[in-house]
Amino acid sequence: MLLADFGTSYCKILDTRRDSTPRIVATRELDRSFRADLATGHNAARRSLRSINELTALARGGLQLVDRPDFVLLDCGSRDIKFVRIHNGTVADMGWNAECGASMGFTIELLATYYRLDYAAIPAPATGFSITCGVLGMSHIFDAVVAGVSETEAVARFVRGIALNAHRFAHEPDELYLSGGLCANPLFVASFPCRVHPLGRFVLLEGLRATLRQGAENPARQKEGKPDID
Amino acid sequence: MPRRVGIVGVPPLAVIETINRAGDVIVDLDEPQVRAPIDQTAARIPRAYCAILRTVALNCLHLQLDQVYIDVGPGKCDCALHVAEVIADMLPVPVIRTRNQDTRAFGHPLCTSHLPLMEKFRRITKGVQSAAPHPPMETCRPSCGFWGVPPRDFSLLALFPDTTHVFGWTRCMENKTPADLELERHFDPALPTVFFSQSFCAKSVLAKHLAAKHPRAIAVDCDVTAGSSTRAKIEAFLELSGITPGRGGAG
Repeated sequence: MLLADFGTSYCKILDTRRDSTPRIVATRELDRSFRADLATGHNAARRSLRSINELTALARGGLQLVDRPDFVLLDCGSRDIKFVRIHNGTVADMGWNAECGASMGFTIELLATYYRLDYAAIPAPATGFSITCGVLGMSHIFDAVVAGVSETEAVARFVRGIALNAHRFAHEPDELYLSGGLCANPLFVASFPCRVHPLGRFVLLEGLRATLRQGAENPARQKEGKPDID
Repeated sequence: MPRRVGIVGVPPLAVIETINRAGDVIVDLDEPQVRAPIDQTAARIPRAYCAILRTVALNCLHLQLDQVYIDVGPGKCDCALHVAEVIADMLPVPVIRTRNQDTRAFGHPLCTSHLPLMEKFRRITKGVQSAAPHPPMETCRPSCGFWGVPPRDFSLLALFPDTTHVFGWTRCMENKTPADLELERHFDPALPTVFFSQSFCAKSVLAKHLAAKHPRAIAVDCDVTAGSSTRAKIEAFLELSGITPGRGGAG
């Protein structure tokens, strides 16, 4: 069974019969003819036999990976952010921001390449820019550099601003679980004003696996729809 | 020759009866009637404003009308009260403000029927143009609820199954009692429910408030058209509630 999380920048793919760990392919390098059996993400409906919504995959993945009845799971992707809040083991709230949260992860990666920065070597700054999206945030960087702030410090403030915005979007929990490629960015993780548990970039794939298991356990109910919200 | 009479909101039944008796044609200005960019209204109405009322102004810019009735009472909203000033200045025809406080309940068989949700809304909004009640319909066993006003973008409704029951102001519309707050705030706590409001609408407070009280609900809003975020949120909510979403998914 071929599972795929089609991200805007990277695709996470798992062949459940052959792979022990998922492989990551840059989206622009993925063969156009590639088709998954079950998928989520960008254009998943066109690139798979069956697709599920990203929020659904996130929630199901979180429920598999986090062994707690109450938690908040935030996924920061290349172009959007989304969260689910789990209460008593079921989904109590969720949100998806593809407009105002636009291009966060993409811009963070772009800036590292442009300014040749290593995010692992940059400490979290004391303050962050007040920004709502990657595109609008860029102008703050340029303004700060013009005002004499170092490029590294300016980018660090930008990254902290992005983290603060994502935290606000998830309704400012005291503690959150983080999903997505930005889990591997120490500066981003350290910029949150709360305790963060990085879960890595395969949470949505785990949600796909959970969907498969639900189907295998009870195909009739799966077809009808088995509630994750009670 | 029949006149073209524009209506905004739900004017009192007596007004509708008068228009019908005269054989005039009713044009529902709340709904998109012309294909033109909504930003054409930006000189008169701020962009960050109710998309329904921006649509009203857009229709007024393009349509030939002989008269307009705009409901500005508790059955509509203060925004309509203020937009009435704008369209009264825009149009060379009478713009008559009404305050619908009708209390005679006509029932709401469409809201609980098995029709596709979009068809329910089409018939309910069309029903405003008639003083007659809707014929009785069989009630379906509901799987979920939609609470709120008719959205500016009806395509949002395609996400829901036919077994969706309608609540909120839309139910008040069908009941022909648009100012009935008691009916508007009614919901079924046993049904997973989407509380919908137009962005920048005063009713968004009620939507959020009721969604917080409801044990299985989300509050969503959208502006002129339903974006992918809103669609995806509704789709996931339904899916995670064990309900197979309709065919108009986020893809």
